[in-house]
Amino acid sequence: MQPTESTPTLKKNKEKSNYYGLLFASPWILGLMLFYAFPLLSSVYFSFTSYSILQPGNFVGLQNYKDLMNDDLFWKSIYNTVYFAVFFVPLSIIFGIALAMVLNIKVKGMAVYRTVFFLPTLVPHIALAVLWMWLLNPGFGLVNGMLHSIGIEGPAWLGSETWSKPSLVFMSLWGIGQAIVIYLAGLADIPQDYYDASDVDGANWFQKIRTITLPLLTPVIFFNLVMGVIGAFQQFTLPYALTKGQGSPANSMTFYVMYLYDNGFKFFKMGYASAMAWILFVIIMVLTAIIFWSSKRWVHYQGK
Amino acid sequence: MNVRKALAHVCLIAASLFFIVPFIWMLSTSLKPREQIYSFPPEWIPSPVMWSNYVDAMSYIPFFTYLNNTVIITFMSTLGVILACPIVAYSFAKLRWRGRNGLFITTIAVMMIPGQVTMIPLFLLFNKLGWIGTPLPLIVPAFLGVPFFIFLLRQFFMGLPDSLMDAARIDGAGEFRIYAQIMLPLARPAVLAVGLFQFMASWTDFIGPLLYLTNESSYTLSLGLQQFQSQRGSEWGLMMAVSTMMTLPVIILFFFLQKTFIQGITFTGIKG
Amino acid sequence: MNAKKMSVTLLAVILSVAIVFAGCSNSQQSGGSTDASGKTTITFWHAMTDVTAEAVEAVIADFEAKHPDINIEPTYIANQGEGQNEKLLAAIAGGNPPDVAYFDRFEVGAWAAQGSLEELTEFAAADGINQDMYYPFAWNESSYQGKLYAVPTTTDSRLVYYNIDHFTEAGLDPNNPPSTIAELEAAAEQLTKKDGKRFERIGFIPWYGQGWLYGWGWAFGGDFYDPETNQATANDPKNVEALQWIADFAQKYNVEDIAAFTDSQGTGAMDPFLSGQLSMKVSGPWEVSAIEKFMPDLNYGVFPMPTPTGTDHTTWSGGWSVVIPKGAKNKEAAWEFLKYFGSANGQKIFSDISKDFSVIDSVNEELGFKEDPILKQFVDILPVSNNRPVMTQGSLYWNELAGAVENATRGNGTPQEILDQVTQKVNNELAKE
Repeated sequence: MQPTESTPTLKKNKEKSNYYGLLFASPWILGLMLFYAFPLLSSVYFSFTSYSILQPGNFVGLQNYKDLMNDDLFWKSIYNTVYFAVFFVPLSIIFGIALAMVLNIKVKGMAVYRTVFFLPTLVPHIALAVLWMWLLNPGFGLVNGMLHSIGIEGPAWLGSETWSKPSLVFMSLWGIGQAIVIYLAGLADIPQDYYDASDVDGANWFQKIRTITLPLLTPVIFFNLVMGVIGAFQQFTLPYALTKGQGSPANSMTFYVMYLYDNGFKFFKMGYASAMAWILFVIIMVLTAIIFWSSKRWVHYQGK
Repeated sequence: MNVRKALAHVCLIAASLFFIVPFIWMLSTSLKPREQIYSFPPEWIPSPVMWSNYVDAMSYIPFFTYLNNTVIITFMSTLGVILACPIVAYSFAKLRWRGRNGLFITTIAVMMIPGQVTMIPLFLLFNKLGWIGTPLPLIVPAFLGVPFFIFLLRQFFMGLPDSLMDAARIDGAGEFRIYAQIMLPLARPAVLAVGLFQFMASWTDFIGPLLYLTNESSYTLSLGLQQFQSQRGSEWGLMMAVSTMMTLPVIILFFFLQKTFIQGITFTGIKG
Repeated sequence: MNAKKMSVTLLAVILSVAIVFAGCSNSQQSGGSTDASGKTTITFWHAMTDVTAEAVEAVIADFEAKHPDINIEPTYIANQGEGQNEKLLAAIAGGNPPDVAYFDRFEVGAWAAQGSLEELTEFAAADGINQDMYYPFAWNESSYQGKLYAVPTTTDSRLVYYNIDHFTEAGLDPNNPPSTIAELEAAAEQLTKKDGKRFERIGFIPWYGQGWLYGWGWAFGGDFYDPETNQATANDPKNVEALQWIADFAQKYNVEDIAAFTDSQGTGAMDPFLSGQLSMKVSGPWEVSAIEKFMPDLNYGVFPMPTPTGTDHTTWSGGWSVVIPKGAKNKEAAWEFLKYFGSANGQKIFSDISKDFSVIDSVNEELGFKEDPILKQFVDILPVSNNRPVMTQGSLYWNELAGAVENATRGNGTPQEILDQVTQKVNNELAKE
């Protein structure tokens, strides 16, 4: 050992490492500042101003936030968004797990089924909207056609205030293939030993699901729950395309981000829209925090 | 046991119908003449088969211009992601430098922020730069890294042993060569998955082009379809033809890279 | 590989990428330009389709023939000017707008107040364009605070179209169409054929087509704006009465069934009035050319929008204009096009094809609109026609009233409550200025 020599080398190595580390990360450091940090900070500022793209506007303090509290359409958009989340997220979890479990029985042609389930997730959202508008067309669509053949007169679906949101839930369920694939991977991770052991104990199919499958699947459910909630709150393309940006009928399809978009880019009330964006951020953070907090009670990690 | 499997098949076939029938309906409508589209109850088999719907749709909107725009944006942004994200992720995972951990935590925090929060200031920024009406806002940010992809790739690099790098260093290889010739090839599956995600995101993006592309000649297919819908919303045959043509490339790609798709999604789900 | 060499390489890559991008960004200008031969290209955004698109192409062709040094590049922008102007506003804000835009006239005031349009007063004065040429309301709508911001091109009015064969078949007298609201309702009932939830044919839908609340409010004797106080008066008792009538109609026929009917319909040849599934429809004169094109054998007539008393029939007129967005690059050439489009010459070409009324009275006369049995009635009602309030919140008011009808027909609140809210919201915004 020659300490006199190794110290400068070490220092030199450290400097070199610092240099390359920063150099390799430099695109992202630039990107982070330019496309994230700067917009984030200016968005906070805008939310306190009456900025509209053509006019500089004034600092108005909390006025945008106060106005939002009195804005009926703002509350309506929250209601619509929550409605969608409350129905879509649990349904997607139930159907996703159910289909993944059936697939996991390792029947013949599993790869084919998996592909079929996955295909809808490849359809661009705008095409998905157009396709479902046609499927749900009240007069000539396939859905009402099929209902008719079994003697039911179908509703106006997207033209009906009652049915417009259920229609959206329905067509969103068509795209749960991605979640199915994730559940499937989660199921594959559960060691066969557990099932073998419970066979010895004489457990039936239902008991095995309740005591082994579901608990061990909770980390994956947790992931899909978080992603599902975040996704539901950011719903935009589908309702926008389905209603040509109008949120019709009677604003039953005006979702939070759509209303944000309208305020920002249709009415150019940038300050107002920025305030909405921050409220959305807070809502998502609170919901995520609640899910994380509650997860201690219901998420079981293997080996713990 | 056999009864159970048969039952499973029944369930799966029923579910498959739910997933596949809309595709068949799309295809069938895209080939129907108008009178048949507006028949009730609906008919399945187009007669006569109207291939001309595709020709009409492609001539009514400048389909190939839109396709070209979409391909350029998708290709460039995917290229950007593939160039920028792995090297940044590698730096986070394998290089030691001052401020690394702080920056990584910031990256994760940024990941949690919904895009809507930065949407408005970004629009104003691109506006100042004079980029509105050009595809640049949809391309340039990809070259500077996407937090979610950086995170995924970092997790992947973390799983690779340090010994490979150390061995190369002893052999006198430069840092960049270690990354490009040793570590990057090992991360190929993850990079491919990330590239696919970006491809999908770009190809299907609607709000981005809606915000930034003002001129019809720079529209993407998503905007083209929406434009078609607002102009000729009752011509379902033509709209289904456009939808089919827009979806087909992704489905073809999926059949070629099926394994990568599934692996990539599985990877995000388990590690995420 | 040494660090210095790599930094240089990296820098070179970044620079070349930047240069490529800069190149892209320059070639993507949406504003027009002048090329080496001295020919100026001006860009023109519009949202015209079908017949009106043909009409505007003819205008452009004639203009280009007369101005060989100017080339017009028309671009279709979906819904532009129909209350959805985000693309145009974004282009203006981005400093890269088209040179000319086709624009719904009632929004000129709001946009001028925002500073989004180029003022045209001086151009007009220099070229002798003045208000004596046009219908007074058309000029009013094109101006804001005494300054000119648009050149008016077309106008219209609204009447009820009715299918004569349906009337005969249902035992109604086609020579004596409804004149009062009660008669209209009775006729609608007689004409409607409903099978379960499905309408085989529907007599009338008050809010379909051009059945905006503006029209019914005025028909019931209400008014929407007080220019003296700059206050919206959406909750005028007569307007409330009109909305109540619409809401009752919706309830009687079940609004969701009507929605199922209207959502299945299309435009052009698939329009329900043309295809014989709707017997009466409020619409404008443009419907005449659509019928001529898609359903020339249709046996139809028109009558004024009924009123509660059967007297004092009225309607409202809107119309289009051409504007130069703020920051346009070729203002002089753009003005040449505006001037031409607004001249008797340009108007004649456009209105002859589109069957839209010109804002110049003599052109309407020359094109024979006053002799055509159908179009004559649209022209004849113009003297008693209303126009939407010229105010800075015109678009907001329009959207709010449209929303009011949706909410009233769906039973979300009483007409009184709904219109009170609209009034309050619009007045709040007006007060902010």
